[in-house]
Amino acid sequence: MPAASAIKTLIVDDQQTMRSLIRTSLHAIGITNTREAPDGEEALKAMIASPTNLVITDFNMPKLDGLGLLRAVRAHGPLSKTAVIMLTGRADKELVQRAVQFGVNNYLVKPFTTQTLKEKIEAVFGVLT
Amino acid sequence: MIVENTPHRPGKRVHVVQGEHAISADPDVMMTTILGSCVAVCMRDPVTGIGGMNHFLLPEGKADGLDEGRRYGAYAMELLINELLRSGARRERLEAKLFGGARMFGGLSDVGASNAAFAEKFLKDEGIKVVGSSLGGMGARRVQFWPVTGRAQQRIVTDTHEVATLKEVPRKPAPPAEDEGSLELF
Repeated sequence: MPAASAIKTLIVDDQQTMRSLIRTSLHAIGITNTREAPDGEEALKAMIASPTNLVITDFNMPKLDGLGLLRAVRAHGPLSKTAVIMLTGRADKELVQRAVQFGVNNYLVKPFTTQTLKEKIEAVFGVLT
Repeated sequence: MIVENTPHRPGKRVHVVQGEHAISADPDVMMTTILGSCVAVCMRDPVTGIGGMNHFLLPEGKADGLDEGRRYGAYAMELLINELLRSGARRERLEAKLFGGARMFGGLSDVGASNAAFAEKFLKDEGIKVVGSSLGGMGARRVQFWPVTGRAQQRIVTDTHEVATLKEVPRKPAPPAEDEGSLELF
């Protein structure tokens, strides 16, 4: 059972408000080691600069979107094993299917609750302590 | 969203109901909505002329100790912004006009004020310029917005029958549709 506080997490979303909400939810479930990026490009830089266990990323973003980020992570040897959870809207079934093809670990439909976020993370890492 | 072609009135009227949004780059389109406690954000890119309107009512209360209203509102705003950006608007050029947030119900809580405060804070945090607003008060509003020009009009609704058609009920949104028609992949 992984310790929540040990999971180094990167939140990627172009909306500051959404990043803040995700951060608040993560902190509520004990994941306090968080960083943030406003788009896929900045996220990749942050991941290369510092080890990351989990990326929670939006899909719609400027420069490099969530799917592009996922593909780049999977193609980049040292980063390729990083867990990625994609945030989607309700109507994005096709996106989810494509994300699965590219190796996403899980997805989360907005607007989500803290409990659902926790369940999605636990489905990837196991029960958090 | 309801689109009407009215023969006696040129142009297309798009009615945006609670929980929905619409965008258009059609100069003939006028968006309308009726607001009580709800807020409508009219947003556009003045360079491309693409604009849109949403209409939301945040749920009351704080579920699971976190701010559920803020979460729901951020999602409602994101839907509008993302659709504008997908259609060619640029985020740094977006400007907004805000309407609604009236105090329509008695009691201690002021849902309208919460909605208005959320919208103002969201736009400030996201760096989106507010070029006009009419928030608060005690009366319902009918709002008309022409997305291509950015022109907006409001009038206070005094017709009691029209006010009665407002079906604003402060409530939590449907539970996040985690598995509602979604894919079972994990």
